[in-house]
Amino acid sequence: MTKTTKGISRRRVLKGAGAVAGLAVFGTPHIAGAQAKVIKIALPTILSGRVAILGTSSRSAVQLAFNQLNDAGGINGRKFEVVDRDSKGRPDEAAKVTRDLVNNDGCEIVIDGEASSGSFAVHEVVRDLGILCLHTCSETSSLTADPKQFGKNVFRCARQGIHDAVAGGSYAAKIAKEKGLKKWATCSPDYAYGRDNTAEFLQYAKVFEPSIEVVDQLWPKLFAPDYTESITKLLQVKPQAVYSALWGGDLVAFIEQSNLYRLFANTAYFSGGLGDPPILSAIKNLPVGLNTAYRYNKTFPNSPENTAFNDAYVKVAPNEPTNWAWQNYAAAQFIIEALRRTNASTDSSVLAKEIAGMTVKQPFGGSGITMRESDHTIINYPVAWGKTQSKAPWVTDYVDTEWSKILEFEKQWKKEKGYA
Amino acid sequence: MTRSGMLRDAVIAIVALAVLVAIPFVFTKPSLRDFLIYVMAYGLLAMSLNLLVGLTGLVSFGHAAFFVSGAYMFGLLMQSGNVSIPVAMLITVAGTAMLALVIGAICVRLKEIYFSFITLAFQMFIHSIILTWVSLTGGDQGLRGGIPRPPFLGIDLGNSVALYIFCACVFMICIVVMRQIWQSPFGYTLRLIRDNPNRANYLGVDIIRMKLGIFVIAGAMASVAGMLLALFVSGAYPEFGFWTTSGEAIFMIMLGSSQLFIGPIIGAILLRLLEHFVSIYTEYHGLVLGLVILAIVLGLRRGVADFVVEWIERRKAARAPATTEHTACAKEGAL
Amino acid sequence: MNLEALFSCLSSSACAVTQVSTALIIGMLLFMVASGLSLIFGVLGVINFAHGAFYMAGAYIAFFTYQATSSFLAAFLAGAAGVGLIGVIFERFVISKVYGKDILMQLLVCYAVILIFDDLVKMVAGPEYKMMGMPEVFALPPLELAGGFVPAYYVFMIGASLVIGLGLWLAIEKTRMGKIVRALAINPQMVGALGINTTLLYAAVFGIGSALAGVAGALAAPTRTLTPGMGLSILIESFIVTVIGGMGSIVGALIAALLIGFTRAFGAIGFPLFVDGMMFGMMAIVLIIKPSGLLGREVTR
Repeated sequence: MTKTTKGISRRRVLKGAGAVAGLAVFGTPHIAGAQAKVIKIALPTILSGRVAILGTSSRSAVQLAFNQLNDAGGINGRKFEVVDRDSKGRPDEAAKVTRDLVNNDGCEIVIDGEASSGSFAVHEVVRDLGILCLHTCSETSSLTADPKQFGKNVFRCARQGIHDAVAGGSYAAKIAKEKGLKKWATCSPDYAYGRDNTAEFLQYAKVFEPSIEVVDQLWPKLFAPDYTESITKLLQVKPQAVYSALWGGDLVAFIEQSNLYRLFANTAYFSGGLGDPPILSAIKNLPVGLNTAYRYNKTFPNSPENTAFNDAYVKVAPNEPTNWAWQNYAAAQFIIEALRRTNASTDSSVLAKEIAGMTVKQPFGGSGITMRESDHTIINYPVAWGKTQSKAPWVTDYVDTEWSKILEFEKQWKKEKGYA
Repeated sequence: MTRSGMLRDAVIAIVALAVLVAIPFVFTKPSLRDFLIYVMAYGLLAMSLNLLVGLTGLVSFGHAAFFVSGAYMFGLLMQSGNVSIPVAMLITVAGTAMLALVIGAICVRLKEIYFSFITLAFQMFIHSIILTWVSLTGGDQGLRGGIPRPPFLGIDLGNSVALYIFCACVFMICIVVMRQIWQSPFGYTLRLIRDNPNRANYLGVDIIRMKLGIFVIAGAMASVAGMLLALFVSGAYPEFGFWTTSGEAIFMIMLGSSQLFIGPIIGAILLRLLEHFVSIYTEYHGLVLGLVILAIVLGLRRGVADFVVEWIERRKAARAPATTEHTACAKEGAL
Repeated sequence: MNLEALFSCLSSSACAVTQVSTALIIGMLLFMVASGLSLIFGVLGVINFAHGAFYMAGAYIAFFTYQATSSFLAAFLAGAAGVGLIGVIFERFVISKVYGKDILMQLLVCYAVILIFDDLVKMVAGPEYKMMGMPEVFALPPLELAGGFVPAYYVFMIGASLVIGLGLWLAIEKTRMGKIVRALAINPQMVGALGINTTLLYAAVFGIGSALAGVAGALAAPTRTLTPGMGLSILIESFIVTVIGGMGSIVGALIAALLIGFTRAFGAIGFPLFVDGMMFGMMAIVLIIKPSGLLGREVTR
């Protein structure tokens, strides 16, 4: 190939490619002119890979909420459309997809269904764009508790690590006192959430029951397929109780593999992640009497609203509701209520002003879930712990923790962290 | 390389930069700027990798190691608040070059597929360091809290148009530098090493040193790509250094062309466009992307840009005699 | 680092038995995956990066067969045969088109297959977690051995992997067909000139190598969670095993797989934080000292 032809073809190709790129990004059919009628809600989330169920159950819940609203005639004659997009679990992709949904697809509200690290990336984007955003899947406390992260129009509608720690700690302490469980071990996935969650749980368990002693801490890798080495290590150490922050498919494998060693025959088990119905039903041989935090349950609270939500959800979704499903559904209710109060305004700061401090009656919380005004995160959501049984609804005997107690310890925690 | 060749390259670079800079003023939608910054960052990664793959025949599976080190070094320097953006960029490039020197000194001694393996091993090693050294890197959550962009020399990168123009300029400077290497005697020596290492050896070329040289340059260029992405997403994440990122860069090269200088950029544009549109319409983008890859590899058996170039040339070759025939016919008709 | 714990474990028979069995459980399953990878590379010179996807396919095929038939034997055989068939199809219609092309082309088609398989699984089985459950036959209390515990299913799993591995080794080393396959690896033209159908042989070897991934998937299905993308982590580990053991060597794969198994089992007790670093470190050291791996021969293709 001679140099000249190379040069020409290169230029030609470059021009061509540029033209294609330009045309393509602008020819998007999604920038519809009909924006005046339909209000679009962006939902960046994870729809592929090992945690795809996080995204698919979030999507089903948000769609359910807005379809119900549309069927009821919308608000002020305006209808709503949810535009979801896969971030593939990559934070940089999450940031880009969110910008795209807002700038290109014309979404006016963001529901961020990203897991922890992705949600921090989206957080930067929505603060930059000034758009209304509700994080619905990240449980990391610092996302809203750290005042440096505060965004005027950004909220979190998800359970929070510190609330869970106080509730779980006090529940565990009570059982430890009753049954004399002094020797504890932990087995949690080795990443930020697993380590923080475990440390906070232990901290409060010890506050409520000082005789608890931690004999060993195991950190299998996130998404490890096999936990045999951790399980046999636990057999050597012989703790009386084990706390685990494992969740999702990792937890299913851990429970089944532990069953092979009869680990739960002599060891009490406390889990932050076992309460999701799709996990409970995936485990073929669910041991009886394991302790788990509430993640969702169709019989708790045992109310007609909750049953109605569950029935409507399973009609449109491939799985039973998950923890992410109720959080997303609740987030949608906050947004819908704010839209109602403002006659379907799409001004982010107007909506944000409504949502801050708002209490909405939800199928999941008794007297309603509140979006706290001071740090834009929810309180008064269910934080109960229950015990497993061998058939559906899998978890029963839920014991609630007083929110006043949680808030008191949270205040103290914020001071310790320098957040307040 | 001739002086006129260099002049031509310079003219092309300036025109291309002018076009890039003009885009946000003609099409004012921010999503196009986002798209282009994204393509520039990943395109630069692919281009830098192609200095190894296409030019030298060194198939590195671990190039994202330098991409991620660029993003993190830059992010940490900026978060420390002691340096301005250009200084942080220079320090990062130098730092990554040092890292590439150390890793490269071990890797380039291995041949062929073993080189690929060991680069992969080093990349996974760096990835696991980032995950474990939580106090410095934030572990799996990445560098949080945003990367500050203090104004320098009157340029404020907090403004998204300014950020775009800055990225375009940095991008074009790197392209020009790589073009110089591509056309330099050093570049031709590397081609000789790729095509006939024995001959290069007989001619007295210090193969190891040459390979190490280009390894360091490619690593430094990849760190610039990492910095652009870090600036854009205002953070750095361990995923930048996972082996799938290296895989994507390889894919971009293959999709475009490893032998055309700008092949990888074309591949980057094609891949990002494809992903962009497919994921709008379906969550099964992996399936579609996979089928497209199979179609390209099995159907075209070379990069898209390679195919287009060959097609144009074939058409030109075919047209030349055809035109003569045509005129001949016309003449006959006239008679 | 807690060497004291490590020594005290080694000196107690209960701990030693349990941890050695743990090493074997981890190692043997890894060996099943890695031996297929190694066989395919040794004979065809192809690095099958889609091997993890095949492992996933094996697990899902076993899962659905078990649901339909409630027979673990049927599930196991279906997993092996099904993935073997997928392997043959993949070799005939995809990989054979890029023989002799540079390794990047092979890498690319494998990447494509990974993407396609992950999405197909998500389409067919859904994104949620699946668990096959322990077959009735193995629902026994763990066996007690010198104070240590080994679950019955794992005894079967280790035994099955050993038998299959041994069978593979015998077939390659001691049979006429094995001789031909070894010859094929060294000089395919000559094998072709002798009137042997090399095309068929390539497809068969690829099929067997893939079937080994299917076997591993089927063996894992009762104890491991099935999700789309589950092939990713096993791919990396089996890749490390193959590199350390030597690409193309079955015995090398066994040794390296056990090495990884023992590192993980005893690392969990002695040096839990360095296990990952150890694995990459071992891979790097082996590559630097003997690039072709512990038992591999230098390949120049």
